[in-house]
Amino acid sequence: MSTTFIKRVGLLASITAFFMMAPAMAITPTVDATLEPSQIALGESAQLTITTSGKGTDFPKLPQVAGLELHIVGQSQRIQIINGAALASTSMIVSVTPQTAGIFAIPGVAPNSQPLVLRVTPPGSPVLPGKSPGSGTPGASSGANGIRMAADGAAFVRLILPKRDIYVGESVPVDIEVGLRDGFARPNALPTLVGSDFTLNNLSHQPEQTPRAVDGKPYMVLMWHSVVAAVKPGKFSLTVEAPLTVRIRTRPQRDSMIEDMLGDPFMQNIFGASITKDITATSMPSELTVLELPAEGRPPYFSGAVGSFKIGGDISSNTAAAGDPLTLRMHVTGTGNFDRVDSAMLEHLDQWKTYPPKSSFKATDALGLKGEKIFEQPLIASKPGPHTLPGLAFSYFDPSTHRYETAHSAPLNVTISPSLADSSLNANAPPLPAGTPSPGGGSATASSNPGLQPDHVAIETGTSTLVPPYLQPRFLAIPSLLALTFAGGWLGLRRRASDRSTARSAARDINRILDDMETAARAGDAASFFTLARTALETGPRSELEAGRLEADRGGDSDDIRRFLALADEVNYAGLQPTREEFARWTDLLRGAFQRTLQRDAHSNGKSS
Amino acid sequence: MKSRAPIAWLIVGLLCLVCRTQAAAAEERGYSASALYNSANAYARAGKPGLAVLNYERARLLAPDDSDVDANLRFVRASSHVPAEPRRWFDPLVTIARPAVVAWLGAAGVVMMGAGLLAGFLAPRRRRTRRAAIVVGAALVAFTVGNGMVLWPKLHEAVILTAATPARASPAPMGDPLFVLPEAETVRITAEHDDFVLVRTRTGRTGWVSRANLAAVVPPR
Repeated sequence: MSTTFIKRVGLLASITAFFMMAPAMAITPTVDATLEPSQIALGESAQLTITTSGKGTDFPKLPQVAGLELHIVGQSQRIQIINGAALASTSMIVSVTPQTAGIFAIPGVAPNSQPLVLRVTPPGSPVLPGKSPGSGTPGASSGANGIRMAADGAAFVRLILPKRDIYVGESVPVDIEVGLRDGFARPNALPTLVGSDFTLNNLSHQPEQTPRAVDGKPYMVLMWHSVVAAVKPGKFSLTVEAPLTVRIRTRPQRDSMIEDMLGDPFMQNIFGASITKDITATSMPSELTVLELPAEGRPPYFSGAVGSFKIGGDISSNTAAAGDPLTLRMHVTGTGNFDRVDSAMLEHLDQWKTYPPKSSFKATDALGLKGEKIFEQPLIASKPGPHTLPGLAFSYFDPSTHRYETAHSAPLNVTISPSLADSSLNANAPPLPAGTPSPGGGSATASSNPGLQPDHVAIETGTSTLVPPYLQPRFLAIPSLLALTFAGGWLGLRRRASDRSTARSAARDINRILDDMETAARAGDAASFFTLARTALETGPRSELEAGRLEADRGGDSDDIRRFLALADEVNYAGLQPTREEFARWTDLLRGAFQRTLQRDAHSNGKSS
Repeated sequence: MKSRAPIAWLIVGLLCLVCRTQAAAAEERGYSASALYNSANAYARAGKPGLAVLNYERARLLAPDDSDVDANLRFVRASSHVPAEPRRWFDPLVTIARPAVVAWLGAAGVVMMGAGLLAGFLAPRRRRTRRAAIVVGAALVAFTVGNGMVLWPKLHEAVILTAATPARASPAPMGDPLFVLPEAETVRITAEHDDFVLVRTRTGRTGWVSRANLAAVVPPR
């Protein structure tokens, strides 16, 4: 212990001495800049190292690059002796974090130097040539043992799959390991499976923890045992992600050798050689082929169960009374995806009332991959006598034999005695006479009493009253309103039809009068002509005479009507004899007036209806 | 267009009323045919034929088409020495469908009749279709009315719940007993007075029975 301490103190003293001597031994001043790595994924950071050597050299000002965030994370000094001359150099470590994907050029930080190029790929893009595989996180690398290291070996994530070929729906046990170097990394959340083509059972918040040495370094390995299942066929590359907080070197590997030699994270922290960063470590991809379940030979009641199962059946009691409920049970045991294990059991059975079964699962391992699923189905026998319940069947796909299997249970014998209620009711009453129609519709005898019909499953919606709806005022309002609506509509339509009929009748009368007027005009009988015309005007539709007066009052063009009436008076009282042309003119005038009136009436009727 | 607005409002109002009726029916969950039937079975098994018959009768009001109810009712009555209800020619009118269905059929009948009458003015040429709609609508309404007429007496019936229930000459505890009614007997209520109801048996005998000894098939609200 003391020897190690003396060595460390000596090493530190040597370094201090070199720092003190460096200014005196400085030679040609230079500025150099390097960027590592030159290709990163978005969300990662690159490291820009600006090294100045020689006397009187200052660090250049950091360039401003759109889309890149640069900030100084540390500084270090080094003294080299070349051919007896001491060269002191100072390095400034700058973290370069891109804000977007793309290619960025960082202007030369040294005079007359070329710009540094940084390629930033979107997250999840394939690894570009020249970039080390597994460098999804700063300092990531993959070892020969199939473990992908993250953050310079501070952590790793590993997915262990026992099978490479599985079927859709098949549950496969998997192990997920997350290795953490003590003091360098800690988990932030539970690991997750990448992609939506698989389902992963819930992981425990208290995984198994075992110390293990990987590549000669000590790790605390957190291990989760879980089950993964594929939801669709195809070839997949399965990876697991684990969000971690890691401590990342801020100096190149070679510069941190001393700290590594010190081997103490606390010492590294003191020397400012690392920073903490949240990363997502991913496992090496595991290739997995998911096969589709064959369509050939698929049983009709296959529910999607994949695995190896056995079934058994029993009943709550081998003897019961008619109408008493019994419980038929089916036990499905084995290994597989029990969430897809389902059965309708006995759906239809003569002389039995069957009800939908309920199921419960009891796992016998921590993963829920092995266990027993019990289906319980209530049954009620409606007839007394010996009964045999048929054997139950359950179909599943066995991935080991690559075919569908159907397991059967043995038939069950049950003896049903007459209903206790029958005995109770009949205890106070003599047996029903032979030939009396039985409740079941058959012939009842003292020896073969059919008993009560079994209970019903109460699934109907209830009602607040036993009174039929059509006798309830609330419901009666509906047909009453409907009847009123139709009655109102019927009355309205009937009135409109009546108006139309009246108008048609009036039109017929006027046409007849006009015909008579024409006959009188041809005969030169002025008295008859004007008498008929006056009659038509006084009795016509809506009384054309009145309408003419109204229109005349409004200043309309019905002066002709008034003139015609005046002429009629002259004919009657002064014996005036109109000419043939005047007869024709007055006939046309009256015909036109009547037609307009009829049209007006028809229009007003249409509006009112 | 202006004259059609009241009709549109009326239709909207009717739809609201229908929705309200349905919603109210869905909210009020009191009686269920299956629940009443199962209760009746339980009473029958427990040796209480009066309560069994009462619940069967109530279940039959809601589900007259349920043959199990009818079968068990007759079985319990026969076991209790109560004469079975005589079968009448119009009984199928009641048992063919549940009252809730019959009610909506009646409403549909009103619609068909009204539409048929109105169509006479709007589409006078389709005379046969109109007449068929009116006839079918009238038949549906008649079916509903008939259903109601058959069920109406049931709404005023009661079931004797206790064995050897005395029917008295007057509505008083000390009234002279006229005859004795067996448990599970179904009687018709014709009058009420305080704690007594005047009942009429199927054989036509009448007497006052204490309310404590019977229960109405349709309980008063």
